[in-house]
Parts: sequence; structure tokens; C-alpha cells
Amino acid sequence: MTRLRRAGLAPEDGPHAVAAAGPGGLRLVALDGEAYALGLRPGELLGRVRARIGVPLHVHPADPEAEMQALHRLCRWAMRYAPVVAPFGPAETCHGLYLDTEGAAHLFGGEAALLDDLAGRLARARIPARLALADTPGAAYAVARFGKGKSPEKPAHTRDLILRRRHPGGGLEGGLQNTPRSLKPSPGAADAAPQDEDVWWESPSAALEPSMIVPPGEHAAHLATLPVEALRLEADAAAGLRRLGLRRVADVEALPRAGLARRFGLAPLLRLDQAHGRRPEPLSPLAETRTFSGVRGFLDPIGRQGDVVAAARSLMEEIAPRLERAGLGACALRLTLHRVDGTPRTLEIGLSRPERSPERIASLVRLRLERLGAGLDAGFGFETVGLTVTSAETMDARQAELGGAGTGERVAGLADILAQRIGRRLVRLAPQESHLPERAEGVVPWVAPPLPYPRSLPARPLVLFAQGEAAHDVFAAAPDGPPHRFRWRAREYRVARAEGPERIAPEWWRGGGAPRDYYRIECEIGRRLWLYRDGPHGPERPAAWFVHGMFP
Amino acid sequence: MAQEPMRQPQEATVADRLARLRTDLSAGAGTAPPVMPLGLPALDSHLPGGGLVLGPPHEIAPAEPCDGIAALAFALALCARRLAGVPGEALIATSGHPLPYGHGLASLGLDPGRVLLLEAAGDREVFRALEAALHAGCLPAVVGLVGEGLPLKASRRLQLASEGSDPPLLLVLRPAGAGQPNGAATRWQVSSAPAAVDRFGGLHAPRWGVRLERCRNGRGGSWLVEWDSAAHRLHLPERLADDAAPARGSRP
Repeated sequence: MTRLRRAGLAPEDGPHAVAAAGPGGLRLVALDGEAYALGLRPGELLGRVRARIGVPLHVHPADPEAEMQALHRLCRWAMRYAPVVAPFGPAETCHGLYLDTEGAAHLFGGEAALLDDLAGRLARARIPARLALADTPGAAYAVARFGKGKSPEKPAHTRDLILRRRHPGGGLEGGLQNTPRSLKPSPGAADAAPQDEDVWWESPSAALEPSMIVPPGEHAAHLATLPVEALRLEADAAAGLRRLGLRRVADVEALPRAGLARRFGLAPLLRLDQAHGRRPEPLSPLAETRTFSGVRGFLDPIGRQGDVVAAARSLMEEIAPRLERAGLGACALRLTLHRVDGTPRTLEIGLSRPERSPERIASLVRLRLERLGAGLDAGFGFETVGLTVTSAETMDARQAELGGAGTGERVAGLADILAQRIGRRLVRLAPQESHLPERAEGVVPWVAPPLPYPRSLPARPLVLFAQGEAAHDVFAAAPDGPPHRFRWRAREYRVARAEGPERIAPEWWRGGGAPRDYYRIECEIGRRLWLYRDGPHGPERPAAWFVHGMFP
Repeated sequence: MAQEPMRQPQEATVADRLARLRTDLSAGAGTAPPVMPLGLPALDSHLPGGGLVLGPPHEIAPAEPCDGIAALAFALALCARRLAGVPGEALIATSGHPLPYGHGLASLGLDPGRVLLLEAAGDREVFRALEAALHAGCLPAVVGLVGEGLPLKASRRLQLASEGSDPPLLLVLRPAGAGQPNGAATRWQVSSAPAAVDRFGGLHAPRWGVRLERCRNGRGGSWLVEWDSAAHRLHLPERLADDAAPARGSRP
């Protein structure tokens, strides 16, 4: 609901609900405060609900992908507190995130201050959340969702945001669980745990729940009194424990482990151990967005080309190991030069293959600067040089050939050099699917694999004009035969031999035109041309002749 | 007195060095630079080493302004001949010439898939591109189509760049640009000639009049050559067949 409201999709008035396909039809998965006040609960069938209440209910479809994206956005935002942020999802029966606060809390004036700050910001953003801080992620999760600080009807069964802290002394894991009351609980979980506790209630004006901080080492006492669902068990496992009368974590703990494992599998033991910190629980933190760039400032502005190249090389030397760790190579780079007077100058450097060698980048920068020459206009010098990888691609480790670089690699190097030094791209000719000679070929970048040319085509000219050039004063012996004599490019041609015609019809799907009759002619002095007659000869329409190409 | 014994070994070393230089010189003169034979004994016998010297530029100019296509075709035919024997791709850098047509290249026997094209804005750019290609040393043939001629300075730079690499460097000029003093190894003049005719009176194989106008360490000459696009070889047309009466007379 919070996601919808923040996206402006759910106006404030009227009860809102989110529904998703569940067993027996559409079921409610999330409600807002008004809907909750009407007596609706997640997990109910939508049809039954509509029949029961007399108020129109705004129903929105569930969009798990968008919810996940919303959670990731929240994670990115939460990185302002600590670098290790790990979202979790349905595997822990609800959504939320862990935040490892170890080594970060003091920056905000202690754990309590950090929690206050976090809660305040979430409240201002109107993201309902439940925070808890404990030694382990498991304990923090349990306290946040089932801790004593909340009224029993309002446990947040939504996305949980959990922060973890490791105590340097004892090696314990601390956890701060933060449950933003944002989105829907999964319908399966709501069904399997029929207690009201699993219903999450959202009221637009609800204040944040008091966050709870479990002091280091005291999580065991807190955990003991919590219901077994706090152990992040599968719904049926938790229900099974309840059937046996094991309602509290302490009850489970008191049992012999072997019997428990036999009956319920290893999951409850694992979760119990993780909550107590007896077994490690590695988090999978959200990967940092990777940017590869470097900036170098100079106390004395630099103006010489060699200095700029050296700066670019040393920046690339900084970036290259990062690229290598990520398994990437730069495909496009941007060199930014800030002049003393504040004018930035950017040079784009494109590469035909992923590359991370500082030497090659530096040589390309040098070629580029050489081409610019005075056009670079250093003025009083550059005080900042920045190099950014604007496009990166995976770059597998290449096996160096014994005889040096491979031919393909050297051609790629040549293409880059030409692009930087002359500013022109290497291209390759490629056949195209068309019978019209001028459309039967195109130009593609050289990296494209060469396509085979059709072999069955009659002879084609070595040079083809983009458009046929009109031949004047054509004299043909027969109206539909080859020309005998014509004038083209201010020169008289007498045809000695002619081959043809080869009729090429226009492409009717492109607007058509008259069919062309191509003749391959040789004139008396030995020049060979490709002529065509545009359309048939008619009594009211004399044939028009065009020269379209030259044969070798 | 004290300097006498010192001078003598010095003189000896100078004499030694001269002798060594002389032997080096004679040995160097003996090793012929690598060449690309044209496969036609009549032409190859005129060229030093029996073929086009690899390295220095070779100029190919049309005999008349309207023979540009013949000069281009002759250069590309040589390029096709080179590519037929080695793997790799040829570079064609052009400025002021129309781009070759891929289907036409295929008709000439040059695989368009093995041609890289670079359209430059001027001769200077073409020369720089050729230089870079020679430095890279990864292409088996390099062809430049230039509008003006080959200036002396550019030819020197190209010659420096080509040292140690082995693609034949062919330059196709316009007639106005031919004849400048430069370091080209050969200078060819190509003109169109009536094609070979097959049994049915159709155009069979292109023929060009080729004149070796200048050749360093070789002899000039003039031939009529015929290009076999399937076998990638040049040959001299058979005289007898050539002298047959033209088919034109029998036409209506």
C-alpha cells in the first residue's frame, strides 16, 4: 500500500486493498487503515469481502516485482546508515531488510540515536516501519515482529528491514530489525498462520512503533518469551509446533534436539541456532552500484599533452584493478578536463573491444590529443583530469598468443587508433536483401561478422552510382534493344558489344516504379558500363536510359 | 712514445670495422627484399626480385581521366591475388574515389567480407590511415585511393612505417596526381581495353592495358593483361584469339 500511495496510485480517500491470485480465487494481501477498520483481514477472498461490506473497495493488483524494486530502493536509501544492507524476501515469510550497524552506529551518535534518526526519516517519508536491534539477525527479526512493544493486533507482517551488528569483543551478532509497514504479506503465510498476529494493519496516521534495542548478550532472554513463529519457520512447521503445544521459543529450546530434528527436520534447529548466534548467518548484501571513475586534481595546472596523457594513464591504472575484479573491460571512456577558468572539456574515447590496459588507453588519449592539436585549447592549464568508464562489458580473460597479440586483436587496435587519430570508423560491406542494386548493399561497422555474398548473381559493376546518371542522345537500333550510341558525362560512346537485358523489377511494397532493363555494354575504346532503360519503350513515352555503374 | 702503442690498435680496429662494413654491405646486397610475384613471367622479369617489392608504395594511375575504373580494378585484382594466398583482411582507405561495390568486388574475385573500408576526408587522412595500418602489421594488403598524388614527404613516412611489415602497399591515383617525384617503387599506368569474348560473344574477362612507367631497379614495359577472377591470376591474352574479326560486323 505504501508503494502504491507513494507512486500516487492510491488516493487517500476510500478503503484500498491489494489482491493477488490465491487458493480459491483472488485474495486480499494488503490493506490500508480504512479497510482494516471495516473488518477486512489479509487472506480473505475478495469476492466474499465485496459481498460483505457495503462500501466500494479500491482493489489493486499485486505486483511482486514492483514490490521487490521498492524494497531495493529502500535498501539503497538505507545505505546511508551502513554499507551492508541485505534485503530478504519470502524465504523468511515476509519482506524486509537487514542492516549491519556494526562500526556505523557511532557515526550517528550511538545505536539509539541511529534508530531515532532512521525512525524519524521513515516517518517523514510515511513509510511505516518497525525497528529492532539485536545481536543476531534472527533475534532482531523476532523482536521486531513479535516483540512486546507492539499491540498484539498490529504485528507487522510485511517487509522486514533488519540491520545486523557484530560486537567486536564477543563476536556476537547484533541485529536491528526494522519493519517498514509498506507492502503486502504473502497470502500463503497469512493463510497458514491464522492468528490475528499475522495480519498487518496499516493506518495512514499510525505513528512508528517504538523501536526496540536488545542490549548485547541479552537476546536469549528476549527470544524465550516470543512465539515460535519468530524463528522464521515455514508456516506448516510453525503450525506443527503449535499443535504440540510448543507456543514459545523457550518451549522449543527445552526439548531434546535430536527428537526435534527427527520430527521437524533441521530447519527449526538451524533457525534457533542462528537466532542465538550459535551458528553463523551470512547476509547477502545488496551489491554496490559499480562506477569506474577516477579524478585527479593538480595544484599546478597542467597544459602539456604529455602531462594529460600521463594523468590519464595513472587514472586508468587506478580503475583497471577495479574493472578486473568485476570482470569487466571498458568499451567507452570519457576524459574530462577542467580548465582553470572553469570550462570543462570532455573527450569521448570509444573502443572496439573491452579493454583495461592503461598503456592502450593512454596511447589512444595521446592520438586523440594529437588530432585535436591546438583545438584542445588548454588556456592557462587544466586543474582537474577525470576519467570515467561510460560503458563497460564483460571481458573474459584472454589467452595471450605466444607470437604476441592475435590478428583480430591487432585489427581492433588498428580500428581504435584510426578512430582516435583520424576520427573515422572502419567499416565493412554487407549484402542486403534486395534485388535493386543500389539497395542490395549496406555498410556496417567492421566488428560485424562478414556476411556471404550471393554467388548466383550476374556480373555486377565494380563501382555503382547511388543514382543512375542520365545518358543523352541515345540511339538504339531497336526500341527494346541495347543502345547503339549515347552521350554520357560529355563524351560520346559507341557501343561495341552489349549483354542483356537483365530485368530488375521494382519492389512493389516500396511504391513501385517501372522495371529496369540492364545492359552490360562495352564501348569501342574498351570501357565497360552498366546501362539501364527505365521502363518499356512506348509510343508516347520515349525510353530513358541511365548509366548505373562501371565494370572493371 | 707513449701514444704509439695506443694508436696502433686503434688503426687496426678502424681497418677491421671497414672490412666488416664491406662484408655487411655485400651480404646485404645479396639478400633480396621480399616480393609479391604477379604470377606472369613477362611482367615479373621486368620487376626487381621477380615481383612487387613489399614495403615501399606502388603507384597505379589511370592513363586517361576516364580510365580510373581500370586502375582501381587492376589494384584490386592485385589485392585479390594477394588475399588468395594469405589469411586476413585488406584495408582500402579512400578519399575522393567512389566506394567499391561489394557485389562488384565479388565479381572481380575479391571477397567483400575480407575488405575493411575507411572513408577519409582527404589525402592526408588516407596517408595517416595507411601509416597506422602498416605500423599495426596485421593486414596482408593495404590499398589507398587518393585524389592527389603521393607527395615526397608522405612517401617517406609510408616507407618508414612499412619497414619490418610485409603488406604490399598499393596507391591508386588520379591521372592529375601521377608523376610527382616520390619514393614509389613502381609506377603503373592502366587503361581500359576491350574485354575477352567468350564463345557466345559475351564479355568474358576484363582486360587492361598496363604500362610499367617507372620501376626502381627494373625495366619498364607495356602489356595487355587479362584478369581471371576465378583463378585470381593475370595472364596475357592469346594473340590468335585476339586477332579474330570483331563480332560487330555480323550484327544487324
